[in-house]
Amino acid sequence: MEAAHAHNGHGHGAHGHHYSGLMRWITTTNHKDIGTLYLFFALTMFFVGGLLALMLRAELFEPGLQFWRPEFFNQLTTMHGLIMVFGAIMPAFVGFANWQVPMMIGAPDMAFARMNNWSFWLLPVGAILLVASFFVPGGATAAGWTIYAPLSTQMGPGMDLAIFALHIMGASSIMGSINIITTILNMRAPGMALMKMPLFVWTWLITAYLLIAVMPVLAGAVTMVLTDRHFGTNFFNAAGGGDPVLFQHVFWFFGHPEVYIMILPGFGIVSQIVPTFARKPLFGYSSMVYATASIAILSFIVWAHHMFTVGMPAVAQLFFMYATMLIAVPTGVKVFNWIATMWKGSLTFETPMLFACGFIFVFSMGGFTGLVLAITPVDIQLQDTYYVVAHFHYVLVAGSLFALFGGTYYWLPKWIGRMYDETLGKWHFWLSMIFFNITFFPMHFTGLAGLPRRVPDYNMQFADFNMISTIGAFGFGLAQLIFVYVLVKAIRGAGEKVSDKVWEGADGLEWTLPSPPPYHTFETPPLVK
Amino acid sequence: MRMTLESESPRKATPLQVAKAVLSAFVGIRRRAAHEKDVVTLTPLQVIVAGVIAAAIFVLSLVMLVRFITSQ
Repeated sequence: MEAAHAHNGHGHGAHGHHYSGLMRWITTTNHKDIGTLYLFFALTMFFVGGLLALMLRAELFEPGLQFWRPEFFNQLTTMHGLIMVFGAIMPAFVGFANWQVPMMIGAPDMAFARMNNWSFWLLPVGAILLVASFFVPGGATAAGWTIYAPLSTQMGPGMDLAIFALHIMGASSIMGSINIITTILNMRAPGMALMKMPLFVWTWLITAYLLIAVMPVLAGAVTMVLTDRHFGTNFFNAAGGGDPVLFQHVFWFFGHPEVYIMILPGFGIVSQIVPTFARKPLFGYSSMVYATASIAILSFIVWAHHMFTVGMPAVAQLFFMYATMLIAVPTGVKVFNWIATMWKGSLTFETPMLFACGFIFVFSMGGFTGLVLAITPVDIQLQDTYYVVAHFHYVLVAGSLFALFGGTYYWLPKWIGRMYDETLGKWHFWLSMIFFNITFFPMHFTGLAGLPRRVPDYNMQFADFNMISTIGAFGFGLAQLIFVYVLVKAIRGAGEKVSDKVWEGADGLEWTLPSPPPYHTFETPPLVK
Repeated sequence: MRMTLESESPRKATPLQVAKAVLSAFVGIRRRAAHEKDVVTLTPLQVIVAGVIAAAIFVLSLVMLVRFITSQ
């Protein structure tokens, strides 16, 4: 990112003094610096979480216990989930928001620049707590990323560290969301009406509201676990008059909107990429905005589809089944609009577009398996099997992660002023796509055949598919090293210089800025026609 | 000042128009012409109130539907 700071030190803006070296990154209030910090943090955590995943898959390569004790295996599944959700995917999208939202709406920076710094620097603290919990007595929490009571009320001190980490990361998310909402609502350039905003900005505005609505719910749930553990309360203890199922309701009231928090900004990124490489404006812009809002509203009334097996009345089961299936309507509208945007466009398939198309294809498959799981009687069969693991990795890896990769390849040339290695980018896409499917497609079969998730050992009948999954997982992991190499190569300035617009079909305020953009941009707001 | 603003701003949307806009948002589809009319006539307060009412009606109608089915 050094190139982005070539203009640093010209005495721009209100910042009278500039630190250099490490202190610059610690004290920075610049949205581009903070965006960069978020993205590097997320990339680091992606590899930490990925390492845990490979440790899981190594154990599952063959039946029987090869490498890890079952207790440690449970810690691996739990921490893989927590680190990927709260350490990799969410911070990565916030990193994109920091870099892109001000540049896309013509604002000079985020609204609360110092709070922005704080939002970021809380994250490494949370991450250190999570990773350090492996080394406390009893190890990290092994209650699953959903930290269901009564498992979570019985764990060792690793659980307390995870609770504290979730509190800190939640506070960071809430502050980040307040910042994003305030920036979007108050700092748009003259003429940038709400319904003229790029779709990435719209999806982040709606996501930020979702975050503010549900992160306090998660904080409440984990605080209740904490007081149950240490302060004699019985919220989730049936023996004391509490109810462990209450935890599941509270958790999933957070957890389901959380799913959309992790995918809506991805929808936004894909909605920027597809029109650029189809050289056509986005089909049905207002439908896309409405569909995003609709998905966000529906996300609050479907949470109990995660709990069909806890013993709900049939009325409740039917309600959550119907409400869940209805989400397919606005989601279908989005997929239709992306395809209609491509229809009769002058398509080219540079790496960002490959990832966007890969996203649409594979995310739709994850959406369909979601519909399968929404059917209550089917879900009662498939609850906690590998079918569920396959489903949510199709939406989170091929959905969120592929959108993040696409967004990186799309905006990286703008950020650093140089083109990445297109050939290696394409290798990264194809290897990721192929190995992703080798890893996760067989899980549909093992799940349908009844293999439960979160088990370190399994029956011989599942051996072949698990072996295939493990081979795919290691291939997928190695393919990500190409991504790192492409990033390092591009940031070190190996690629050719790019124009301001970078992509022929690109449209939007960020493309009117030089590549790389100066340290401070839009100090004088642009006029949007 | 207030008078001038009101006389300059376009006519406020009718409840029917607000309802149409919000219902189309629930499905995620809106005609371009209708959408452009919405942009100038709808106020945020109208949209939020209508959205909350529509969400409540949506939940209630789903509850009624499942009650009807389970009573059979």
